[in-house]
Amino acid sequence: MNGSSYNIFNSSNYFGWSETQGVLEVIQILLPEIVLAVFSMIVLLGAVYSRKNKTTSIVFWGTATTFLLVSIFIIFRGAAVYTAFGGAFIDDLFSRYLKVLILLSAAIILMLSQDFLKRNNLFKFEYPILMTLSVVGMMMMVSAGDLMSLYMGLELQSLSLYVLASFSRDSVRSTEAGLKYFVLGALSSGMLLYGSSLIYGYSGSTVFSEIFITASANEKSLGFVFGLVFITIGMAFKVSAVPFHMWTPDVYEGAPTPVTAFLATAPKVAAMGLFARVVHDAFGGAFNDWSQILILLSVLSMLFGSIAAIGQKDIKRLMAYSSISHMGFALMGLTSGGLEGVQSMLIYMAIYVMMNIGTFAFIISMEVDGKPVSEINSLQMYSKTNPGRSMALLILMFSLAGIPPLLGFFGKFYVLKAAITSELYLLATAGVIASVIGAFYYLRIIYYIYFGENPRALDQTHSLFNQTVLVISALAMVLGVVNLFGLEFVSEIAANALVN
Amino acid sequence: MEVLVLFSPLVGALFCGFGWRFLGESLACWVATSLLFLSAVLSWILFLKFDGNTQNIAILRWIESGTLSTNWAIRFDRLTAIMFIVITTVSSLVHLYSFGYMEHDENFGETESYKPRFFAYLSFFTFTMLALVSANNLVQMFFGWEGVGVASYLLIGFYFKKPSANAAAIKAFVVNRVGDFGFLLGIFGLYLLVDSINLNEIFQAIPEIANTKLTFLWREWNAANLIAILLFIGAMGKSAQLFLHVWLPDAMEGPTPVSALIHAATMVTAGVFLVCRMSPLMEYAPLAKNLIVYVGAATAFFAATVGLVQNDIKRVIAYSTCSQLGYMFVAAGLGAYSVAMFHLLTHAFFKAMLFLGAGSVIHAMHHEQDMRFYGGLRKKIPYTFWAMMIGTLAITGVGIPLTHFGFAGFFSKDAIIESAYGAGSNLSFWVLIIAAGFTSFYSWRLMFMTFFGKSRSNPETYSHARESPITMLIPLGILALGATFSGIVFLAPFFGDHQKVNQFFGISGPESHATLSNSTNHVTKIEGKVHNSSNEQAHYTIDSKGSKGIDVRHGQSTLGKGGLFFRNDNHVIENAHHVPKWVKISPFISMVLGFSLAWVFYIRDPELPRRLSVQQKYIYRFLLNKWYFDELYEFVFVRGVKALGKLLWVRGDGNMIDGTINGIALGIIPLFTRLASRVQSGFIFHYAFGMIIGILVIISWFAISGGSS
Amino acid sequence: MDGLLQEYLPIIILLGLAIGLGVILLLAAFVLAVRSPDAEKVSAYECGFAAFDDARMKFDVRFYLVAILFIIFDLEIAFLFPWAVAFKDISFLGFWSMMAFLTVLTVGFAYEWKKGALEWQ
Repeated sequence: MNGSSYNIFNSSNYFGWSETQGVLEVIQILLPEIVLAVFSMIVLLGAVYSRKNKTTSIVFWGTATTFLLVSIFIIFRGAAVYTAFGGAFIDDLFSRYLKVLILLSAAIILMLSQDFLKRNNLFKFEYPILMTLSVVGMMMMVSAGDLMSLYMGLELQSLSLYVLASFSRDSVRSTEAGLKYFVLGALSSGMLLYGSSLIYGYSGSTVFSEIFITASANEKSLGFVFGLVFITIGMAFKVSAVPFHMWTPDVYEGAPTPVTAFLATAPKVAAMGLFARVVHDAFGGAFNDWSQILILLSVLSMLFGSIAAIGQKDIKRLMAYSSISHMGFALMGLTSGGLEGVQSMLIYMAIYVMMNIGTFAFIISMEVDGKPVSEINSLQMYSKTNPGRSMALLILMFSLAGIPPLLGFFGKFYVLKAAITSELYLLATAGVIASVIGAFYYLRIIYYIYFGENPRALDQTHSLFNQTVLVISALAMVLGVVNLFGLEFVSEIAANALVN
Repeated sequence: MEVLVLFSPLVGALFCGFGWRFLGESLACWVATSLLFLSAVLSWILFLKFDGNTQNIAILRWIESGTLSTNWAIRFDRLTAIMFIVITTVSSLVHLYSFGYMEHDENFGETESYKPRFFAYLSFFTFTMLALVSANNLVQMFFGWEGVGVASYLLIGFYFKKPSANAAAIKAFVVNRVGDFGFLLGIFGLYLLVDSINLNEIFQAIPEIANTKLTFLWREWNAANLIAILLFIGAMGKSAQLFLHVWLPDAMEGPTPVSALIHAATMVTAGVFLVCRMSPLMEYAPLAKNLIVYVGAATAFFAATVGLVQNDIKRVIAYSTCSQLGYMFVAAGLGAYSVAMFHLLTHAFFKAMLFLGAGSVIHAMHHEQDMRFYGGLRKKIPYTFWAMMIGTLAITGVGIPLTHFGFAGFFSKDAIIESAYGAGSNLSFWVLIIAAGFTSFYSWRLMFMTFFGKSRSNPETYSHARESPITMLIPLGILALGATFSGIVFLAPFFGDHQKVNQFFGISGPESHATLSNSTNHVTKIEGKVHNSSNEQAHYTIDSKGSKGIDVRHGQSTLGKGGLFFRNDNHVIENAHHVPKWVKISPFISMVLGFSLAWVFYIRDPELPRRLSVQQKYIYRFLLNKWYFDELYEFVFVRGVKALGKLLWVRGDGNMIDGTINGIALGIIPLFTRLASRVQSGFIFHYAFGMIIGILVIISWFAISGGSS
Repeated sequence: MDGLLQEYLPIIILLGLAIGLGVILLLAAFVLAVRSPDAEKVSAYECGFAAFDDARMKFDVRFYLVAILFIIFDLEIAFLFPWAVAFKDISFLGFWSMMAFLTVLTVGFAYEWKKGALEWQ
């Protein structure tokens, strides 16, 4: 390359797209992402220039429908593997599995949000647009095949989320949450970038497949390992693994409840997917290195999440710790490595999302005298006033705690099985202990609902959609026992796409 | 059809147990009962149409785990067919009987519903018992084995308001566990050796097992012997043989129909069934067979002696059962499996009837069970009296010696005694003769004390004594038929010549020929030795010879084909036919002696027993207290276990486990929780600091350890 | 080695010129300017704020809006320069990529405008 190999702007050599792929082909491959991005911009302009109140509602529905359509489109893409931008973008079954999960959960949460936003004067068209942009970022993340596309997706996702977290501008807590999230997120991005530059320096490339070669070498320089550590830490922040979880409780608590619901689901899936992608595609050869970090993160997350949740009085904070703990479990699956490990992680994430959507469908609707509340105390004796919803919540809590035969148990089961297969006995033991401790706070909620002392009158104003989601989610926890809705099969081919 | 027989009691149990709220009490009970009658009719049809060829009917895939692969399947051969008719017949009659017996139970209040529960338990028991006998693999058999244990537990403790009933139920369960442990070890052992739990495959592998050594309890054993003994320990528990018999008398706390069904006719015979079912194994385990003979004979004698002095009518019959089971084991241990099954069959009829008769008496006497308060009931309850009379005639073995005419027990019990002599087991022969005398004595004692003489109850009870309702009398009548004729009818197939027995049990042709031709050679030889009275040794020399050579090859082709298996050198039944006349008459003489003694004691001179008991105080006490077995066990096992249990409970569970859990749950975890919330201060620089610390730790770790390399 | 050093020659020349020009300008001001100092003139200038004061004071958030807008378009220029320089080498896709980038920025700008972020009052 005549001594000009550092000239990355000489991109015909670097990406190689001019030789292999034309514009149309690239557009075809990235169609879902492009559709969403273009959609968001058109809507942005359309909505801002229309000045009608009706548009907001249309935007909400339109966005949710688009999510749905795009996910259907992705499902019908089949099993083929496409790469674009010289391997910087990978569209395989693994990414499709996660994309569908992200899109569906985002669509449902968007619809769940409506009622809450309307009543709290937050019903603005920017909300779905920010969500769309964030979803595009997530889709980018799970398809990343290069450190640059990884970073791009991550930042697009994060920046939208920062704004969403402080969406309730007039609320001090919400802005505080947004700010905290932003500052700490920036810190973690810095780590990630630092790690990326180290990796680039030691492997001479940012493409995962190139990095893989360096990572597979017997002798790895310490700098390379440091780079790996920093990248891992950057991603650990996104999945809020202990000790990089600190933002989670505050942001979950401060952000408007629908945003919390969103934070707890889709971004976690994306970050977990990215995690899996990076450790397998880029650092597959350095398994012994990253698995050490992951084991540490996993154990700490599971135990810390369970223990810290016990002291919480706010259900949103509690869900934050709960998600920390759950991420610990998902990391356990990832740590186990191999097909079974990735598969168990994918199953776990899908089940986790289902449970959380149901739970948040309820939390979003928690109100006293028209004001949203999130104290666990306010649930006291809820079963007296509303047995149906209480029962649904009971099932969800049991499922979150991982009590058989509900779906949540199977998530844990697969993960533990993967850990046992990989002979990570101590890790599995820690997981079981954590889930026992964790059962306490889920049961405490149930205790309040069924045996609490001072009945509080939660409003009965649940929108029909939220109720339906709550009930369906609870039913899914029970009915899923039959064959996990085919999750086992789907996740297996998805994991297969990544591991092989 | 087999499937229908097996599952209709289960359906009945489920319907009755869970559906009675919808069906109503009596309808639910009738559903259960009629399903059992259906089952009974079908099993008789099956029995009569059965051609002796073993069938395996797979019902569902059951266990798939590594090399352990088995179906839930019915093995239907003659053995199963016999057990089917015994179980379903007695059970259906007991169901019917229970309508009368359980009508008004003073253990339960007016508003409490107990009948459907009772019927459901009975049906459930029947199902598990059928599952046990129809098993084609050992785990399935174990399922039935434990199932009947559970049902027995539930039924003994049916009067759950009575502490004694609960205690008896627990005792039965715990003592059975001891035996079950042996059974389980036996199953494990077979799986270890054969790598299968299916009976067919096990039977095929038995000659091999017989040549294998196995280390168990720090010494080497012959595998066949070891496993046969382990299985027999299981059988001892279930069939209340000596040392594990203590639960059976206490089990009489249950309602009388239960005693008739479970503790006389069916469950307790499971042990005998097991030994017969495993006859191919037993044939290769001479040591185990000896053990079985000795334990059986000891039980027969021991239980008969205790039965002599008991006053509770049900306990007398319970000890009698225990004793009769000993007879069966002697037969099985000697290798006369068909004879054991014969006695099992006849015993089921007459003992069930004795129990039901006793129940009828108890019913009439307002749940008084002590015979000392009976007397003179002959006129009051004539039908019951005649039924009991037939039962007594049957159990004592009344018949005309040297002919084929007599009650059921006459054939089957005499067959056992003759087999004992024929096999050359002098000791067991004499023990059984004596026990037969005792049997006669206590049976007639029961009859005399209950039905003859003057009434010793309070006059009011006596005057209110009524004949039982028709639902209770019909079963008595049917069983009376069985007790009378089952001996005559079934003598030939069970205890006829080899040809007939083989044909009946479906033991395949070539072998029976071989056996026949072989046997003629041996018979003369043995007979000669019998007269030399060194018979015991002769028997064993043959056995040991057989296990070495030719037999192994021969056995493989026919093992497990039919219901039973006799080795070529097993001529017990043949020999039993050729015993001297005095041997054939001796049980009769013994019976007559027992009868006369009882007559003298309880009719002619009713004061004699009391005088004798005072005079022979120690023997009387010894017998009355059942040889002090309970006291001994209490001292040796129960106290120690209780102390250990208490120690583990208070110290181990209470202090250590609860203490630790509480310490963690109430002390350490909240501490961590507080720490965690303090870390979560809300200050962004604290959070950033936390992240940096995390990075530092991980980086230092890698810097020091150097990662994977 | 010499070759490498030679490649840096233009930089040294540029450096020399820059320093020279700076010095000349400073000296020119020193020599030629009319001096009539007052308090405002001699104090350091910092974006319209008093330079030495308590930093924790309220000020209009619109400053930030303008600053952010400036940065965005500043960065846009920063991207455009290398793109323009390498324009010959990059493909059609490269061209359209930049167009897409500019469109996205324009959309954002249009939104901002409509929202009234650019109106000071």
